[in-house]
Amino acid sequence: MIQSLAALVSLVLALIVIAVALLVARRATTRDASGYTVVYRVRRHYATALIAGLAILLFLTLSRTPYASIADETPARKIDAVGWMWAWDFQVDGASASLPLEVPVHELVEFAVTSKDVNHGFGIYDLQGRLIAQTQAMPGYVNHLRVRFDKPGTYHVLCLEYCGVGHTVMMAEILVQ
Amino acid sequence: MSTGTATGSTPDRDRRLIATWLVTTLAIFLLLVTLGITMRLAQGAVVPLSTPDFYALMTMHGLGMAGTLFSAGIAMVWFVAARHARPSRAAMWVAYVLFVAGAVALLVATLIGKFAAGWYALYPLPFLKATWPGWATGTTIVALMAMGLAWLVAQLDILRALAAEHGIGRMFAWDRFRAGAGEPAPAGVLVASICAVAGVLGTIVGAATLMTYLFKWLAPATEFDALLLKNGMFMFGHTIVNVAMYCGICAIYELMPRFTGRAWKVTRTVAVAWNATLFFILFAYFHHLYMDFVQPVALQVFGQIASYGSAVPATAVTVFGLGAQIHRSGLRWSFAPAAFTLGILGWVLGGITAVVDSTIAVNLVFHNTLWVPAHFHTYFLVGYVLILLGFMHLFLRSRAERLAGTGLAAMLAGGYTFVLMFFLGGLDSVPRRFASYATIPYPDLADRAAELARWGALGGSVFLLGALVFCVSLVAGRRRRSGTAA
Repeated sequence: MIQSLAALVSLVLALIVIAVALLVARRATTRDASGYTVVYRVRRHYATALIAGLAILLFLTLSRTPYASIADETPARKIDAVGWMWAWDFQVDGASASLPLEVPVHELVEFAVTSKDVNHGFGIYDLQGRLIAQTQAMPGYVNHLRVRFDKPGTYHVLCLEYCGVGHTVMMAEILVQ
Repeated sequence: MSTGTATGSTPDRDRRLIATWLVTTLAIFLLLVTLGITMRLAQGAVVPLSTPDFYALMTMHGLGMAGTLFSAGIAMVWFVAARHARPSRAAMWVAYVLFVAGAVALLVATLIGKFAAGWYALYPLPFLKATWPGWATGTTIVALMAMGLAWLVAQLDILRALAAEHGIGRMFAWDRFRAGAGEPAPAGVLVASICAVAGVLGTIVGAATLMTYLFKWLAPATEFDALLLKNGMFMFGHTIVNVAMYCGICAIYELMPRFTGRAWKVTRTVAVAWNATLFFILFAYFHHLYMDFVQPVALQVFGQIASYGSAVPATAVTVFGLGAQIHRSGLRWSFAPAAFTLGILGWVLGGITAVVDSTIAVNLVFHNTLWVPAHFHTYFLVGYVLILLGFMHLFLRSRAERLAGTGLAAMLAGGYTFVLMFFLGGLDSVPRRFASYATIPYPDLADRAAELARWGALGGSVFLLGALVFCVSLVAGRRRRSGTAA
């Protein structure tokens, strides 16, 4: 799960930084005219490691962007999702879809997301209430978001871009079966 | 009218000017912290707050914090510039009047007019189905333009003064790449120059964006491109909040050597790092638009590269530079160097979580969750603000070390509790900018989000208490003052 991995990486790096900061702070009170040289020696290795690490991370993560998934596979279902203050409308093959929106499990679904008025956020939450994907709904533009629903059940769409006083009630249900 | 001595001392008239900026921004900051705590209490269902009121407070809190902290940063940069050049006091007073006028207008527009389009007021939200009157929208636009003008006046004059004193090549450290170049400019000059030029460029983009907003307000039938204006607003907003942080760094470059006795020299590495930082400041904003899939993919990738790239000069040069300053330096830990160092620590911790979120694949599940306010509150509340308070303590010649230290301890305990609740909420996918969590269709998530908000409010309150103790220390410390300082 992306959230857990991101938390783990953040926590490990934060602990390393705090440990190093404590070490340097403890040594600050002793005086050694050349005490700074060791820091610059470490810096050379650090800079090399950081640049290499970031390059590897770029390589690993840029192939997993939501944009990369657009061209690969033909979706089983295409759905137009239109946000407006403060609700979501869905259309399948040009006809209004009944609510809750029904989509097939294990199949690739493509949402063509736009807005009739202001910016909204189309955030899909899974059965446990965990955010699994999102895109912006913007007036004048259509964002294509592809999602594969792994488990049957009721998912929810929450608005994730502040859109006025009705922002918190702008939601919809997706029934995956 | 020119001022300053370019010799490192700070004349009394300069001191009054900077002190006025600092005291004003500190007072507004404390008010805005109170608004922030109120919002977390409302989200925790402790304090009843209507939805329009919540979003008006949210808008004031966000716009006010971004503008106030950036303004305080400009005051610190002006202080550094005045030690090495002759910026105009008159220009800085004009900027002050414009800033205060903008801040007052913003308070009126949000707290009375209930303008509630959020701090980046994405087009066309301020103009559509608004629950606030049209005058509140117009007042907000004009208020932001007044603040933008204040920043432009101040920063352009800082650049003028530094260029007149040091020359453009020296102030940006380009002379480090020329054989036979003389002594480099002081490090504070380089950082002040980068901050000011980045701030000017960001503010100009903001001015153009706000002009379209003003046009739309005056001629409602006119339509503009939502994606273009989103780019403009984020380049403006991201740049000024990012530069605010670097303004704090500027003060550290200038002042930390007086505690460690070690010069902070501008080497070629430092020159490359800070010029690269200028580039990263201006283009990292693309990470705000990852979820706008229609934005060209090249810009999205560029956004991730620029965001990752910003970590290299920030840590390898500034953080290691601070490490080299203090490691075995014989430093005596007093309030100012401790606040500076802890502020850098908060900046790094916030930066780590920001870089994590700047990964497009991660942003897909973190964007507009509480992870976002978590990271920027970390590098502001327990980062930049500590640096700012360290600067104030030093500049206002406070001698109440113990009292200030007590305030700092409370700010750390409260501040980290406050931001931790945001991080936990982000990990749980709690959406940001929800006036109430009761509408979340997952009861467990709604309850947990409210509980985290209550703990966050408690942490924020402890932080505020610590900040008030710090304010008392400034007054008490001045009363006992007898020597010289900044």
